[in-house]
Amino acid sequence: MCMSPIIKVEDLTYEYVSRNEETGEETVSRAIDGVSFQIQKGEFVSVVGMNGSGKSTLARCLNGLLLPASGDVFVAGYNTRDDDTIWDLRSSIAMVFQNPDNQIVSSLVEDDVAFGPENLGVPPEEIRERVDEALNAVGMYDQRRKGAHQLSGGQKQRVAIAGAVAMRPDCIVFDEPTAMLDPQGRVKVMEIIRELNRRSITIVLITHFMEEAALSDRIIVMKDGRKLGDSKPYELFSDEALLKEAGLEKPAAIEMRDRLVSRGFQIDPKMTGEKELVEWIVSARRAGAVAESRLSHEEKTSPEGFSRKNSGRSAEHNVVSDELGNDGESSSSATSVEDEIVAEDVRYVYAPGLPDETVALEDMSFRIPEGSFVGIIGHTGSGKSTLLQHMNGLLKPTSGNIWIRGTCITDGSAVMTDIRKRVGLVFQYPEYQLFEETVAKDVAFGPENLGLTGDELEESVRKAIELVGLDYEKVRNKSPFELSGGQKRRVAIAGVLAMEPEVLILDEPTAGLDPQAHREILEMVDSIHRKRGNTMLFVSHNMADIQQLADQVMVIDKGRLKAMGTPEDIFSHGRELKEIGLGVPPATDIMMELRDRDCAVDDRCFTFDEAEREIVRYLEG
Amino acid sequence: MIRDITLGQYYPGNSAIHRLDARTKIIWTLIYIVSLFVVDSFQGFAVAGGVLLGIILISRVPFRFIFRGLKVIFFILLFTFVLNMFMIDGKVIWQWKFLTITDEGFYRACFMAIRLVLLVIGTSLMTFCTRPVELTDGLEKLMRPLKVFGISAHEIALMMTIALRFIPTLLDETDKIMKAQQARGADFESGNLIQRAKALIPILIPLFISSFRIAQDLALAMEARCYHGGKGRTRMNESRFSARDGACAVLMVLFMGVMIWMRMYF
Repeated sequence: MCMSPIIKVEDLTYEYVSRNEETGEETVSRAIDGVSFQIQKGEFVSVVGMNGSGKSTLARCLNGLLLPASGDVFVAGYNTRDDDTIWDLRSSIAMVFQNPDNQIVSSLVEDDVAFGPENLGVPPEEIRERVDEALNAVGMYDQRRKGAHQLSGGQKQRVAIAGAVAMRPDCIVFDEPTAMLDPQGRVKVMEIIRELNRRSITIVLITHFMEEAALSDRIIVMKDGRKLGDSKPYELFSDEALLKEAGLEKPAAIEMRDRLVSRGFQIDPKMTGEKELVEWIVSARRAGAVAESRLSHEEKTSPEGFSRKNSGRSAEHNVVSDELGNDGESSSSATSVEDEIVAEDVRYVYAPGLPDETVALEDMSFRIPEGSFVGIIGHTGSGKSTLLQHMNGLLKPTSGNIWIRGTCITDGSAVMTDIRKRVGLVFQYPEYQLFEETVAKDVAFGPENLGLTGDELEESVRKAIELVGLDYEKVRNKSPFELSGGQKRRVAIAGVLAMEPEVLILDEPTAGLDPQAHREILEMVDSIHRKRGNTMLFVSHNMADIQQLADQVMVIDKGRLKAMGTPEDIFSHGRELKEIGLGVPPATDIMMELRDRDCAVDDRCFTFDEAEREIVRYLEG
Repeated sequence: MIRDITLGQYYPGNSAIHRLDARTKIIWTLIYIVSLFVVDSFQGFAVAGGVLLGIILISRVPFRFIFRGLKVIFFILLFTFVLNMFMIDGKVIWQWKFLTITDEGFYRACFMAIRLVLLVIGTSLMTFCTRPVELTDGLEKLMRPLKVFGISAHEIALMMTIALRFIPTLLDETDKIMKAQQARGADFESGNLIQRAKALIPILIPLFISSFRIAQDLALAMEARCYHGGKGRTRMNESRFSARDGACAVLMVLFMGVMIWMRMYF
């Protein structure tokens, strides 16, 4: 490795001043507090930490978008404080931001990629060359004449990366580049990042996904503006105390490794990847030296977590179905009272009669029993959102019908406000729809539209706010815009809950949150379901979440319902899911990988507990 | 509905029209607009329409795409048509209670409708055949003389680039917010004018916040990509006039001449 570091951060402090509107008082908060580190040329460094830990601020200090209150930042020998060299500095450290939409300047792909080199005054012929090279590097050359609005989120993000690459920087800073992408887009972007690093571009990756951070050479952990840790991935992920303090989680492979280690197996502590773990299991079994290498151990108690998440869940399932007096297996019977939502041959054609006419939904028929918790999976553009919007009448099917508890909502006779009262729909990033001065007023918007007033209104608002786990008295008079990201989302969900819907639909409720907020929202969703016992549908790209929460899973692909069944049913068809670009829970993934290596294991393990037991059984022969 | 807006969209192609210098197309469009107001007869519209049809055929932009843009102005069209038809005095040709249609009214209504359609098709054709960046670059060059008055042509051009880029994004955003508020029981379709105006607040506020967020993000992204004004900036595609543009200039003069001649003798 080269001796001179490309990035040098020395005792960096960044402050921002916030003013209290009422008192006019100014308070200085430190977003970054005395951080120092160096990054060598060609390194791949991740920065992790909770929302508000100062990661993004740090990224913006690196290329001089923000200037330090004290301390210095040097990039390629230039100080960010030096006005004369700021453009040289920025051309050697490019940046890719989180939101793919908001960083593309020109309508046309290749024009946007040219934006950086144009600003640098590069001669036209060379710009052309750089643009083609950059677009090839991200695999978007064929789409170079397309409009930005015609691309998917993942493709837009690749264009943004090309825009950075075209500046021929030494280093690229990625500020949560995959946070708003679906799993397929995420994988592709990570592949590109690693490839750029192989081409000796220094990478600084800010991320919430530990699997991504595990790919880097080094991880910097931030908390409350301070540097909490700076170590190799395997060192960080074996430091339980640090992980807990920083609000982080372990990647799946490391979680499984640690479980095996605590069962007495001796595994290389430097191992971080799934491939290596699988490799270890295969060779350990082959060596047959397992019995000797084991130490005595106590049976681990299962970790705290979701009420319904445990190995005995299938037994519990039967109990639930018995209580409902409803045999989950036979769906051939006519519309029974217990069916909350019934769809029959729903078909939806987008832009009929126009050049871009597309069939968004076809042959959609299903029944969702009352009180069930349905997980919906499918990649972006599969028709999930279109389907959700049909369930509360925001979209009308081109043909086919939908019933909500026996009421047909598609024959034109139903009153829309009545349907929306019964079926609550929480959109993706619902916090973007907040608009009122206070939390209480915003939450009251829905029930007010339904005609609630006075005490009744206040009561429903209070109940909803408490249901999402917020303190009513504390937040009611606050502006929703003062709250943290996770809290805003809770308020937005409360806004729908306040209408007391029979069915609650959530479209990716955890999108873009840090690991801790993610876990909290998930727990909240679970508790709402338990307290209210209502039918719930939720869309997620996170298969572990689906596995933990759902009792039914719908798989949607190309506008059709591919499959519907219990999570166990669905995830035991892992290969078919992967064929249509979907994943399986991380524990199942490890088991499938083992199966691919011809190990005689049962890959129908869906939780870490199950997988752990199965691997131990396998290893012990 | 919201997705039908084709205003400012680009239809990728490589026709002779697409390859013209943007400045030529802008001036052509201006002359075309002026001529539509110079003309005062259906014969004149026929000539303008014929020329437009010719350009559409050369540009190879499908008619379906062009007419989709008209769908959005349908109500404006209907409104002006009805207004003209009933409001203008003349010889009564049809009457029912207080509604009367006069020959003059009917004539004016058709006249205005044709003018409006030709206007919209002609101007949108320019954006269909010109890459947004070329369009704004062209404008920038044409406006350069305005520097004398302290107007920065570069900044205006950049603003237009960004506006064109974000029209589809903001339309999507509006659609999303509207649906989300509808899911919370908001009703945009009934009530009197005041109620309807009030119903817009839950859409407008989130939309404003969204726009500011986008603006902030975009400004950071542009700065990170070394944007620092028009000084020292180069272009990937430097526009140059070609023989084709010269030929167009001749046609332009000819077209304007015909339009003025028609005004005088028809």
